[in-house]
Amino acid sequence: MGQTPRVAAVGVGYSTTGRRTGLNSRELAIQAAKAAMADAGMTPKDIDGVAVLWAVSGPAPPGVESVQALDIAQMMGFAPVGWYSDGAGPAYIGTALQAIAAIRAGFCHTCITFRVINQRLSSADLEQGQDETPAAGDSQFTMPFGQLLPLQAIAAMPMQRHMAVYGTTEEQFAHHAVTQRYHASLNEDAIFRDPLTVDDFLAMPYITSPLRILDCDYPVDSGSAVIYTTEERARDFQHKPVFVESAAYSGKGYMAFEIEDMLESAPFHTAKQLWERTDLEPKDVDCAQLYDGFSIITFQWLEALGFCAPGEAGPFIEAGNTRLGGKLPLNTDGGACNVGRRHGTNFCIESVRQIRGQCGARQVPDANTSVWANAVGPFSGAVLMVGD
Amino acid sequence: MDTSVAPPLPVANPLTEFFWEGTRAHKLLILRCQSCGHFVHYPRPVCERCLSEDLAPEEVSGNATLYSYTITMKPWHPFWVDKVPYVLASVELPEQPDLKMLTNIVECEHDALEIGMPVEVTFRQVAAELTLPFFKPVGS
Repeated sequence: MGQTPRVAAVGVGYSTTGRRTGLNSRELAIQAAKAAMADAGMTPKDIDGVAVLWAVSGPAPPGVESVQALDIAQMMGFAPVGWYSDGAGPAYIGTALQAIAAIRAGFCHTCITFRVINQRLSSADLEQGQDETPAAGDSQFTMPFGQLLPLQAIAAMPMQRHMAVYGTTEEQFAHHAVTQRYHASLNEDAIFRDPLTVDDFLAMPYITSPLRILDCDYPVDSGSAVIYTTEERARDFQHKPVFVESAAYSGKGYMAFEIEDMLESAPFHTAKQLWERTDLEPKDVDCAQLYDGFSIITFQWLEALGFCAPGEAGPFIEAGNTRLGGKLPLNTDGGACNVGRRHGTNFCIESVRQIRGQCGARQVPDANTSVWANAVGPFSGAVLMVGD
Repeated sequence: MDTSVAPPLPVANPLTEFFWEGTRAHKLLILRCQSCGHFVHYPRPVCERCLSEDLAPEEVSGNATLYSYTITMKPWHPFWVDKVPYVLASVELPEQPDLKMLTNIVECEHDALEIGMPVEVTFRQVAAELTLPFFKPVGS
């Protein structure tokens, strides 16, 4: 079955990535665009759609320049384009699903999509200028109590509840970090590649219990790009196409993590829709690339997608199932904890590369089906990808 | 009360000012649909259950159970510099399933925190015009 008309990913690429690259948002986007176009063997005239998610919440600090879809289209010689978007929804998945939908609808045939993160926009600015920030809107019910960062509401509190309700242990979160680091050790492009042990992990202090720094992704400057096209055009490019078998998007609740159900959030609805739109089942998946903005999010996706029962992600990981060679190799690039924050884009790109068979030492043998997922809580999405 | 440093101050609006007026009077008020009785928190101009726009604040019991929590070690803001570690928590009110609010747990040893434990509201003035509804173990 699968969703039709079929859309394929045909080009993927990254900019220079690092803690402080000195690159601005436009430069990150340009580098990523060139890398993805070169990967596809494509010229600007092949592209007639652009979608970029640039903004991090809140106003940009002075001197930080944004990058917008039409700005990219003009700079890169795509214009005129038939469709463009400056992103919506959570992280990269919202941008990807918009582009896939626009191609299916016929607004454009080939769309380049981006997630551009300029680190000067996010945590580096936390310590300056926040003191006077008043708590307007729903944040008046959170900020005065000390909920200042997502890692408290999206990560630490759901972890604590998962541990209380299901018996998940801190050692199981450690095993997850150790497994991802092992995968990163096999990825030349990963930032963190040194071996990590369970004891190393447990020796780290809490930031906000039970969360440690290694439960978090690693903030970097990065531009990531993926080019999607129609099935009709998909075989005209350099590599074998990787098709979107099914895709799903979900939103529920108050757009608030701290008062939602912390265990069965939007990913469960996303997953239900994802599997309803294909004949494939969880057992058919060769590898999974599940968002790890915080470790508990990956746990929730494993459960939501049916790779294990609700509450069983901890034992599933501890038993080695998610390690290369295991039942379900997970986050085979090392995850955003180790390759740096791409807000989901890396999981799409790793799915494409695994299905193409380009992953070298970390290649999952004969990988032909990969699922990637992004976001959690009130909003989320997932894409199941297959080879030709 | 040391009010020299305030936490991020709520910007009340016509929909939410009842909540902060309530806490200043040591009352925990939640918006409730006057048509079907459904509680709506965070405040919204319409009832999600029956779509009535006739909503009004009502005082709730002040009882709750601890849904989840985190012991935060870093201040991230001047107000919390002398308050870390503090217990940020989500509590569930008994008036309605899934009716939750964010708060702090106070007057509780960290080792005694347990998800599901009964807690009750206690009001603390933290700035000249701001009183927050915190929760503490029942009977503490």
